Amino acid sequence: MAEDIKGKLERYRTAPFDSRFPNTNQTKNCWQNYLDYHRCQKSLESKGVDVAPCDWYKRVYKTLCPISWVEKWDGQRDDGTFPGKI
Amino acid sequence: MLGTVSKQLRSHPALIPLFVFIGGGCVMCAAYLARLGICSPEVSWNRNGNPEPWNKLAPTYQYKFYAVNLDYSKLKKEGPDY
Repeated sequence: MAEDIKGKLERYRTAPFDSRFPNTNQTKNCWQNYLDYHRCQKSLESKGVDVAPCDWYKRVYKTLCPISWVEKWDGQRDDGTFPGKI
Repeated sequence: MLGTVSKQLRSHPALIPLFVFIGGGCVMCAAYLARLGICSPEVSWNRNGNPEPWNKLAPTYQYKFYAVNLDYSKLKKEGPDY
């Protein structure tokens, strides 16, 4: 599983098609991957497992999300005002 | 009110198809709205029990009505499980 993800990360070109978000508006796709990355980190850290597989979600959200959004959300997470559930 | 309507209908039976078609249209509208509320993967009625319903879909779920040149059966889950 981790080897597949490492292979996928090495061959990464862009965010793949996600059937949950088939339309032009990819806002939710960006949001979901941002949430998934931080949830994955939290979950794997609490299990004591290597967090490297979570980088898939990080690559996808970095592809999709505007930088200003990511910075805003990072700031909100630091302040404790982040609206999503992580 | 129903009594008045049925009395008038009996003297003008040609109005019955009007009721049938208008009634049918209302039923179809209500059914479509109900389907959107119940089956749409973007709708969550229970914030605590079902917070993100789009995450419960299979990766091969076809949201759009007509897929032009995308083979949905070949899609897989991309990210790792956690």
